[in-house]
Amino acid sequence: MIASIAHGLVAAQTVIPKFGHADDCVRQNRTFCWGWFSDHWDDVFQPALIDHIKLTLIAVVIGFAISIVCAIFAYERGWFERPFSVFAGVLYTIPSLALFQLLVPITGLTELTVEVALVSYTLLILFRNTLTGLREVPEDAREAARGMGLTAHQMLWRVEVPLAVPAIIAGVRVATVTVISLATVAAFVVDEGLGAPIFAALQSSFNTEFIAAGALAVLLALLADALLVGVQRVVTPWTRAGGTR
Amino acid sequence: MHSKAMQGVAVAVAFALAVVVAACGSSSSNNKSASTPSGKPGAGKPAVTIGDKNFTEQFILGQLYAQALRAKGFTVNVKNDIGSSELIDKALTSGQINGYPEYSGIVLTAIAHDNKSYPSPQATYDAVKKFENGRGYGVLNMTPFNDVDALAVKPAYAKQHNLAQVPDLKAVGRFALGAPPEFKTRFTGLVGMKQVYGITNVSFKPLAIGLQYKALDAGQIQAADVFTTDGQLQRGSYTILKDPKNIFGFQNVVPIFSQKTIAAEGPAFSQVLNAVSAKLTIPAMQQMNAAVDLDKNNPAEVAQKFLQANNLL
Amino acid sequence: MNDFVNAFKFMGNNLDLLLNKTVEHLELSGAAIGVALAIALPIGLWLGHRHRGSFVAINAANVGRALPSLAIIAIGLGILGIGFINVMFALVVLAVPPILTNAYLGVDQVDRDTVSAAEGMGMRPSQVFTRVELPISLPLVFAGIRTSAVYVVATATLAAIAGGGGLGDIIVNQASYKLAGVIAAAIWVAVLALLVDAAFGLLQRAVTPRGLRRAAAMSGAPPPDEGAAAPLVAGRPVPGAEVN
Repeated sequence: MIASIAHGLVAAQTVIPKFGHADDCVRQNRTFCWGWFSDHWDDVFQPALIDHIKLTLIAVVIGFAISIVCAIFAYERGWFERPFSVFAGVLYTIPSLALFQLLVPITGLTELTVEVALVSYTLLILFRNTLTGLREVPEDAREAARGMGLTAHQMLWRVEVPLAVPAIIAGVRVATVTVISLATVAAFVVDEGLGAPIFAALQSSFNTEFIAAGALAVLLALLADALLVGVQRVVTPWTRAGGTR
Repeated sequence: MHSKAMQGVAVAVAFALAVVVAACGSSSSNNKSASTPSGKPGAGKPAVTIGDKNFTEQFILGQLYAQALRAKGFTVNVKNDIGSSELIDKALTSGQINGYPEYSGIVLTAIAHDNKSYPSPQATYDAVKKFENGRGYGVLNMTPFNDVDALAVKPAYAKQHNLAQVPDLKAVGRFALGAPPEFKTRFTGLVGMKQVYGITNVSFKPLAIGLQYKALDAGQIQAADVFTTDGQLQRGSYTILKDPKNIFGFQNVVPIFSQKTIAAEGPAFSQVLNAVSAKLTIPAMQQMNAAVDLDKNNPAEVAQKFLQANNLL
Repeated sequence: MNDFVNAFKFMGNNLDLLLNKTVEHLELSGAAIGVALAIALPIGLWLGHRHRGSFVAINAANVGRALPSLAIIAIGLGILGIGFINVMFALVVLAVPPILTNAYLGVDQVDRDTVSAAEGMGMRPSQVFTRVELPISLPLVFAGIRTSAVYVVATATLAAIAGGGGLGDIIVNQASYKLAGVIAAAIWVAVLALLVDAAFGLLQRAVTPRGLRRAAAMSGAPPPDEGAAAPLVAGRPVPGAEVN
């Protein structure tokens, strides 16, 4: 009793300042409040977008590096394909939320956890596409290379890999878009990326924030996809004619 | 043709890496700690990582403590939006965070698995202190405000079924209750409702914290688990059912930190945290929650304004 | 490693919970796939029959695959609110593209000579469609449905965040079910996705006219029932399935 009176006395000193009052649109939680969105672009959406791009790029670059090395290895040592495919396939099948939670006890609530998971999801598609691309190099090209006296190593890097580039880029395209999608779930582990405003918006079911963050993620994915289609076309102009390859 | 293709790929990769490097440089986040001005009590002390749970009040509390400490020269990182008590306690015990603000009763029921009924906030606090000290953690002063779980229903529904207290729900037919997933297995949740009040006619609907208001308004659930300091309670019309046997316990906020951290950071550390806690009354917390949940202000800004108004920055 | 063993113990102890959640999961997925079929099949088949709208139809799958699932669920939350129907709509948005694209391609790519021959035999356009184009297109159409179904089942896991129920409820609730429960539910979702894939695969074989199966085998063309995550080679839009 006395403690609560004492607490009351202390509490009497608390000053509650005026906080920013939101406009009608936000208070009514209407579908989309452009004003709030533009006001908070700098402190909510831009950092989230940049973090999201950063997370995606790191995952795709690392996944690409690992996959291309493994695919070339599998191309030269056939036995390697099966175990790696199974490994990458198992990782791919684990639902993203579950994979994050499995990693947290090991790598903590850190970007490392997120990146390990995201890289895992890129391996299957990048590995498969690179390997398929290498294998589908026309035999004539190889014969011509051998005829010119190229060593196996030279043939790989000067003929086979370049001819596999369309398949590889197609794989990078799918992998990138997949990672952008999964990076939204990463906010479950670390307060970064476009998933962070989505999870924060759950607190008050804030429609504008849901839609803004969601739309930004969609736009980012579509933009990345279009960009990579462009890269694909630039790098392989011979497919533009709509051939069967 | 092929070397051109390779060039193209090389350019793309280089561009990508450049963006990564640029992004690394420019990414700003609440996790970055401010530089330590010399002459302040926190200068030179080891960095502290404070965590907070997955709802608005916790985001605000995390910011309040972090900003007040930084103003005194401490180096503080905030790990925001970690998860419920069960999860954030793991982060604490595994060293990923040095401390976080917890609710006294929850420590006992969800972490210590002690479902005894304690008669007062002070009694609860003492039990928490005993438990945490026993496992190497220290507790600082508790806040004046408490934030308890409560069951909310729409006024029309309460009138229709004559509901004033939680046990009154027994008489209703099967009803849907929306709450965060952990409510199902907690004593301050379905378990207590069943054991103490004998309520078994519940159809449980797990919902992320914050969605339950929407569901209640839409009629998808008849009862929702809410927090008594929620901003939404000030705005919408909801009837809170009384909890006569106090299954939801006393829930004052208690900053919990490892004893090593408390010792290493020096006496000013505890003083700052206690000074902040002392200012946190129920109206203060309600207004800050409303400022974030209803007016959609940034928790960091709200915390900053509050600390400034109370000379804690 | 301990947790993996515990996961199986969890399954043993909580069979009814897991089964309940699986039923919820399948209800949500089934509803979404059903609606998606009702929307995408007629449109895709009709466009393919008329050889119109190829740009939209072909790129639908690519665009659809790019859509981040959680983002679509979030937009759905913003526009429609929470609840079964609302989450279902988000899943429908994700389910439509593969069905649309494959329905279009299946009918569009039926050999023109075959179609002319049928017309030459005196069949009306509707008969050409039902007796020639549709049966021949079935393998590809079913491949699209199969891809879509697996994708929906996998993505429905995320629906738990928006109150959609299903096995995702366990996966997001590590607090109550511990890591063992999360692993158990994750295994169930993965197995569920594989079972759905296999079931549709069987269905696909069942509806593929025997003649086509034999022809495909002999010509060495890739079998029409491409499974999950088939490689995407430039120019050949074979939709891949993602697991979320």
